[in-house]
Amino acid sequence: MQAVASFKRWLFRLYGPEAAPIRLSQRRVYVLPTRAGLAFAASLVLMLTGAINYNLSLGYALIFLLAGLGLVTLLHTFRNLVHLEISPGRVEPVFAGDNAGFGLQLHNRRGQSRFALELKLDGGETQACDLAAEATTLVSLPLLARRRGWLRPGRVTLETRYPLCLVRAWSYVEPDMRCLVYPKPEASAPPLPLAANGENGGPRGGRGSEDFSGLRSHQPADSPRHVAWKAVAREQILLTKQFAGASAAQVWLDWNALPQGLDVEARLSRLTRWLIDAHSRGLAYGLRLPGRQLALGQGAQHFQECLEALALHGL
Amino acid sequence: MASKPAPPLTRTQELWLLACAVLTLVPAIQPAPPWLAAALILALAWRAWLWWRRATLPPRWLLNLLVVAGSVGVFLTYRHLFGKDPGIALLILFLALKLLEMRRPRDGLAVIFLCYFLLLTHFLNAQGMEVAGLALAALVVITSALASLAHAGSGVLAQLRLAVLMLAQALPFMLVLFLLFPRVQGPLWGMPVDAYSGMTGLSESMSPGDISRLIQSGEIAFRVRFEGQIPPQPSLYWRGPVLGNFDGRSWRASLAREKVGLPDTATSQPVGYEITLEPHNKTWLFALEIPASLPAGASLSREYLIQARAPVRSRLRYAMQSSPGAGHDPGESAVSLRRYLSLPPNNPRTQALAQQWRREATDPEAVIRRMLEHFRQESFFYTLTPPLLGENSIDEFLFGTRRGFCEHYASAFTFTLRAAGIPARVVTGYQGGQRNPVDGYLIVRQSDAHAWAEAWLEGRGWVRVDPTAAIAPSRIEAGLASAMPASEALPFMVRADFSWLRQLRFRWEAVGNAWNQWVLGYDPQRQREVLSRLGMREPDWQAMAAAMATLCGLLLLALTAWALRKRIRLDPTQRAWNRLSRKLGRIGLARRPWEGPADYARRVAQARPELAQSIQAIAGLYVDLRYGKLNGDAPSQRLRGLVSGLDIAVSK
Amino acid sequence: MSNSPIDQAIRQAGRIVLGKERQIRLALVCLLARGHLLIEDLPGVGKTILAHVLARLLGLNFHRIQCTADMLPADIIGVSIYDRNSGGFQFHPGPIFAQVILVDEINRAMPKSQSALLEAMEEHQVTCEGETRPLPEPFFVIATQNPSHQIGTFPLPESQLDRFLMRIEMGYPDQAAERELLAGADRRDMMASLSPSMDPGELLELQQSVTEVHASEALIAYVQALAEHTRRSPDYDAGLSPRAALALLRAARAWALIDHRDLVLPEDIQAVLPAIAGHRLRPSSGMQTASSAEIAAALIAAVPLP
Repeated sequence: MQAVASFKRWLFRLYGPEAAPIRLSQRRVYVLPTRAGLAFAASLVLMLTGAINYNLSLGYALIFLLAGLGLVTLLHTFRNLVHLEISPGRVEPVFAGDNAGFGLQLHNRRGQSRFALELKLDGGETQACDLAAEATTLVSLPLLARRRGWLRPGRVTLETRYPLCLVRAWSYVEPDMRCLVYPKPEASAPPLPLAANGENGGPRGGRGSEDFSGLRSHQPADSPRHVAWKAVAREQILLTKQFAGASAAQVWLDWNALPQGLDVEARLSRLTRWLIDAHSRGLAYGLRLPGRQLALGQGAQHFQECLEALALHGL
Repeated sequence: MASKPAPPLTRTQELWLLACAVLTLVPAIQPAPPWLAAALILALAWRAWLWWRRATLPPRWLLNLLVVAGSVGVFLTYRHLFGKDPGIALLILFLALKLLEMRRPRDGLAVIFLCYFLLLTHFLNAQGMEVAGLALAALVVITSALASLAHAGSGVLAQLRLAVLMLAQALPFMLVLFLLFPRVQGPLWGMPVDAYSGMTGLSESMSPGDISRLIQSGEIAFRVRFEGQIPPQPSLYWRGPVLGNFDGRSWRASLAREKVGLPDTATSQPVGYEITLEPHNKTWLFALEIPASLPAGASLSREYLIQARAPVRSRLRYAMQSSPGAGHDPGESAVSLRRYLSLPPNNPRTQALAQQWRREATDPEAVIRRMLEHFRQESFFYTLTPPLLGENSIDEFLFGTRRGFCEHYASAFTFTLRAAGIPARVVTGYQGGQRNPVDGYLIVRQSDAHAWAEAWLEGRGWVRVDPTAAIAPSRIEAGLASAMPASEALPFMVRADFSWLRQLRFRWEAVGNAWNQWVLGYDPQRQREVLSRLGMREPDWQAMAAAMATLCGLLLLALTAWALRKRIRLDPTQRAWNRLSRKLGRIGLARRPWEGPADYARRVAQARPELAQSIQAIAGLYVDLRYGKLNGDAPSQRLRGLVSGLDIAVSK
Repeated sequence: MSNSPIDQAIRQAGRIVLGKERQIRLALVCLLARGHLLIEDLPGVGKTILAHVLARLLGLNFHRIQCTADMLPADIIGVSIYDRNSGGFQFHPGPIFAQVILVDEINRAMPKSQSALLEAMEEHQVTCEGETRPLPEPFFVIATQNPSHQIGTFPLPESQLDRFLMRIEMGYPDQAAERELLAGADRRDMMASLSPSMDPGELLELQQSVTEVHASEALIAYVQALAEHTRRSPDYDAGLSPRAALALLRAARAWALIDHRDLVLPEDIQAVLPAIAGHRLRPSSGMQTASSAEIAAALIAAVPLP
């Protein structure tokens, strides 16, 4: 098995991830008849014996035209793939257990369209696309992300049977790209440890334990929860309650605070769940991992940084 | 790898496949047995209806049942399942039924391959140009269907265009292969007897009305290309079967197949010509009287009829030499001559008349003259529509109706000579022919069929006597049309009027002849001939294969160059700008791909101050053209001029 | 050297803000393109002076808002105070009602105040108690921001960052400039001696003529190619939005204008790209964090001119 794999690597000139852009040179595009193509050839041989036997001159012509068609198809199929340029496209991080989408950019530098290109990752599903003349398109190749960390797509098979299904041209490329896989969020995790931390103790939701400091006119940016409805009833005008020292609730997600019995992956899985919960509830959160601490923060960027830290923990 | 099942066929794909099937099946309807033709039409209609209504296809068990029933039907019709006709019938059956279970692209491919085979079988029946045209149309549709199977997403027109393009590209390969593929004279194995049937032509017997029926056909019997001038019309007697046995009504050929050597024809100048004989499913070959050479493999019978080894079932070309004026004596013995005197006991009046003439004449030639004189002076008529004759046909004709066609005259004449004790026989064949002014070939049609007599004269041998020449001399001089009164319903091609139509027909037939000669008649012999004319000394199969491979390789190379060419059209401004970059690239100052014109000009000017002025001018003009509002050909041309004029000293 | 009002303004500003001609030009471009400017740098590198000088040279009135954590939207926009005597509300306009506003340390303000400010910037008007009050024309906001991740700051979210046409960094002055700065007179005294190079009417005219600078098909194709690349490339987490592409083209037009050209060159795009794309493009995770200049340089090098 090992020998076959290394032979294949040698045969198809695969020497690890390649720098972008990858151009499919003539030497990298392989062409062989498909099963339909073999049947086509066999039919031609059969028809030829018939034509010889019955001395059918037109039969010869028909068969030779079809043979010519076969040769022409070979070239058309080859042409449909050759000189295609591939460069890595966008790869969004995913959670373990989801399908990672490896974006590949296909550049057609030629003045003619390419049709019915099929791309596939080893172990993934086939994606088909057409490519207009001098155009670029983005194809996303799905691959199941099983484990957290960096996921490499490995070998991409590009193939086409256009235009007549009789010939298959294919090529292998190994684009240099990777996908960040976050740990799988725990399915039934305990709720966010809101009570278990915070310097002041006690939950601090958005209910506002801060001091009421006065009324002012309503601004478009004000939260409707802060509208002084009593004052509205009285003055027929929107007023906003003002609070002093309003601050968002915050939560620390701490590796060491988790139960002792959990192993590394289970801990990461739970922290991921909590992180998602904290983010979706708009809390300010910080993350403590062995050897790393991410300060309290909010926002998409902070969320991604935390997830990345979890994904790459210990790797 | 058997992951997800292939998607079902789209409606466009189904329509293409249906079109393929219709185009290939329709020509098959007529030769098929009636029950199969009916079933075929039904199946096609059913499938089209299903397509139209987007209905589901019939269940598989029903189709299996139909396959079995159809196969049994074929077996009952032909009594076997192997061979040409049952094979075609089964092919039709399978294609029709495959259409009814056409669900996935795989089925589509099966339909297409069946269509290919069926297309080939059409050529068994006919190989004319119209058949070829139809086959080509079918091929375009089939290829389009294949294209739609490979890429359902493109439009119908795009698929059609692709198919035409690919077939056009395949055409040169076809020509090379057709020319150079080493031809083998078939068949590879014994062909069933049923391969040829329904061909028209002369036969081994002649009854009154046979020839007048035959001349209604405008079909071509054979074509002749003379090496020199075409001999005069009256000498063009194309000898066919010789009929020596008479039963009172029909003349039959003698069954003796005795071979003789070529006659001595040293006395007269031989005429060289080449005949392309249409298949007639008989063994004899036509030639001008008297043959001075024989085609390869043929023999000469005692009656001077050229016999091929096997019935002529495909168009046959052979070179001949004949000596029209030569003597005609194979050295008949008294025994063999007695055969040409035997008569049935009927037609007493004719017999009596003949014996009277013989008694009154001094020699046999006088009898012949008397007889011809009789035809000329009495009121005999030459007509295509003679009245029917009864038991004593000769008596009735000579003394009663006196209306007849050449077979009547030849028959009566021969009978009378025999009754007068002169050995005589009927010769059938063709007389005359029409020269096609377009390609110079002489065309001999079934309408030129003729019958004449031969009499044995002591010391001279067999002498041709044509009684038709006595009754209607213009038939022999100028052809049938001039010999017939205008009221006669002549076959279209024979008539003298409609000259423009005839011209058209000549032209068409010249094309058809070229088709026959060069496409259908491209056999091993003609292949050698063509190849040696093209400069191949020894066209053996190795040389042909080598040439074929070389030419195909060259074609493939040319096509590859076409395939890999880049066709990105740049406007002239951009081309000039790129040219500047290439030019400056020679001194290491190529433009970086992202570098703007001003930056580039600055960089070049810094590196090569002597170029600063010209670079600034070029860049300024380029900026105006590409990024400003300046456009038009003249400034672009100026830019090109500036770039061309840029003189770079490659120092350093 | 040309003597157009713009050139004069640049020259005069250059005498006070030493060694920062590029930043001065970008700030002017931003103003001419009717955008707002975000300056991100450490305190004391001349952000405030730059804003001041610009206002002075263009003859515009100037307000400054110093942001603090306890600042409320009303402190920016103004507030209607209930007047018992008149029995109604009376509007007291906030500091935002000026032509040039310097918002110092915007990331110290609470998100709520930030968004109120940014909405005003976007709409060029303020709505207070159902009454819409237009802001003066021209209206130009220069916000400064300390580098993020300092304690007690609220970094501007990406959606708000997009409201700023440009983000620039001041950077330390080079040696020569710093020596001159130390040896020369007090900058604030010099400022008093500045005379406006143009009046607001002229400025509005210039703003109008920015839109008339010709951008050819080829150039628009280039902008498109740049944007497309950022959207497809794995090097960025999020690509440039159509609004960003528009901003790029607008800024490049203004840049061409102050370069005395009536057509946009790819070089103009490349010149303004760091300021336009730096705060809108986020290099993807796993890539080294880079400065605006580095991000822009990589982007420029990756996209050939069409």
